[in-house]
Amino acid sequence: MTSLWLAWRTTTRYRVRAALAVIGVAVIGALLFDMLLLSRGLLDSFADLLRSGGFDVRVVANDGVPFARLPIPESRRLADDLRALPEVREVVLIRVARGAVRVDGGTPVDITLVGTSETSGSGWTVVAGDHLPSAASATDRCPIVISRPLAAALDASPGALVHVTVQPEGIRSALPPVTCRVRGVVNFAFASANEHAAATTMAALREAFGLTRATDADLVLVASRPEAGSRAAVRAIERARPDLHAYSNEDVVAQFNQNGFAYFRQISFVLSSLTMSFAFLLVATLLTVSVNQRLGEIAALRALGIGRTRIATLLLWESALLVGGGALLALPLGGLLALGLDRLLRQMPGLPERLHFFVFQWRAVALHAALFAVTAAAAAAYPVWLATRLPIAATLRREVVD
Amino acid sequence: MTPPPAVLLSRQLAARAGVSVGDTVTFAVDPAGTRTSKFRVAGIYEPTPDPMRFTAKRLEAHMHLPDLLTLVADPADPAAREAVDAINVKLADPTDADAFAAELRSRAPGVTVTPTARTRDNDPFAVLDRFHVAISVVTVVGATAFLLALMVIRAEERRDTVAILRLIGISRRSLLTAVAIEGLLIAVIGAICGVFIAVAAEGLINRIFQGRYDTALVFVRVTPAIALRSIAVALPLGLAAGIGASWPLLRGEILTSFRR
Repeated sequence: MTSLWLAWRTTTRYRVRAALAVIGVAVIGALLFDMLLLSRGLLDSFADLLRSGGFDVRVVANDGVPFARLPIPESRRLADDLRALPEVREVVLIRVARGAVRVDGGTPVDITLVGTSETSGSGWTVVAGDHLPSAASATDRCPIVISRPLAAALDASPGALVHVTVQPEGIRSALPPVTCRVRGVVNFAFASANEHAAATTMAALREAFGLTRATDADLVLVASRPEAGSRAAVRAIERARPDLHAYSNEDVVAQFNQNGFAYFRQISFVLSSLTMSFAFLLVATLLTVSVNQRLGEIAALRALGIGRTRIATLLLWESALLVGGGALLALPLGGLLALGLDRLLRQMPGLPERLHFFVFQWRAVALHAALFAVTAAAAAAYPVWLATRLPIAATLRREVVD
Repeated sequence: MTPPPAVLLSRQLAARAGVSVGDTVTFAVDPAGTRTSKFRVAGIYEPTPDPMRFTAKRLEAHMHLPDLLTLVADPADPAAREAVDAINVKLADPTDADAFAAELRSRAPGVTVTPTARTRDNDPFAVLDRFHVAISVVTVVGATAFLLALMVIRAEERRDTVAILRLIGISRRSLLTAVAIEGLLIAVIGAICGVFIAVAAEGLINRIFQGRYDTALVFVRVTPAIALRSIAVALPLGLAAGIGASWPLLRGEILTSFRR
């Protein structure tokens, strides 16, 4: 009889306690697995979101990538300069403004209004209607695409006319509204679930601002040429315009990791450590109590000639069966728990709808398995020490006398 | 000669700049130092902890509004000295916030009026609170399985003792009460130990994170309400685990309880 078989027989002999131990490890393991997913989930999801638009460099006037950005003076000329760089494939100008929109007879709804020089929708997916028309094919003075929550709030669909007023930052103004035609209802990549957002062309935004010259962008998105890469594009942009700040997607993710993600990284680390300690205590206690109960049995096995190594292997297998069973169950359980926790955390206000906190990674599965292997070995250490140092004759005598 | 106006520096800024109270410092509106003013450091303050910005380096200074306007206002713009970014208003009756906002919007078109009070729907900390509760529930489920396994082992260990006690006439009810009390005691002692560990860890965790982020923010606080809540959750679980684990033993026939 192999040690594994003997361990299996012992485990199935004490079914209830084994099942409870496996359940305990599975629940704690599910939490550990989720914390491992959380440790990088938000970062991976954020990086995916940044990459989804097809742009890998962001140029801003401020240091860092803040949410409140300063306009970049002469940004149209900047775009032309950047397009001329050999490392750059595509350049898009973005300007974000606060504003309000209403339909005829309706009440105004506050919106986030995005002006963009890119009209084919890398920042959104169309739900109904169409993208913004390109500058050359535009027939409307102010074409606009609106988010689903905004469409619902206005009860507007593609083709509807809406009146848009912008509110320039830092000054009091009462600009007249601009009438825009809804081209499409879209899901914005960076908008939160309930955000009232809209996007229009830079020309329409200029009109809404009441300007005669082109609107300055506050963000320039750059797609680098694949053969050059984003790092080279960042260096080239910084050489061309030292007064501006260029960040690759990796830089933005690193900043996010340093600032916005700190809380989740730390709670993930703390809870992973706690759950590992908990699983260790659970299995070590159960095995120790179990060995204490079976001292006579183990002494008898030793008296029959079964060596210390085999007894140690038997206990290691018992530990492995409890921890392994629990760890395996923990994966689907953790997956289900992650769905629930993700849904809960995504209720956070202002979070992009496509951002997730828990993202499946094979790395997390491998780490989960490695941590549980270490736990199983560590939890078996004391019971093994107890069982292998057992005085055979004295133990058997004590068992008989008892 | 007029002494320079006073300024308060945040502890972090004072440490970074290596200045102390009484020193004279120069402020400029841009890194090139195009417009500068000299100030006397009147004090160093600890910034009010802000959980939304605990990772930010709090390099801040507080000065009187006229001094700030003198420093930053564009000399070519006569209206610049009249402009501020925001005005904080404390209402006599906070429930009037919406009515006040509506009236102000109508009187001053273009002004953004935002109540500072957060509702549960737009409070990120309410979401984090729910997240912590969910994690606590999962941990409690795991701990219950752990406790139940231990109680089962304990019940199996005492199979013979229970059989003998029943044989000499002690009723099932008395034995059940005994195991219930035992489960309750284990749960109470465990919960109290847990509270003590939490209290001990509170200071350690706060010191680590306050040092890591250079902030006075309190990250963990064990309140009496939280301690009582955790004990209140532990008690019924301990009771249920004790009774649940011993019930098969007490329910069976006396003779079958003897293993040998």
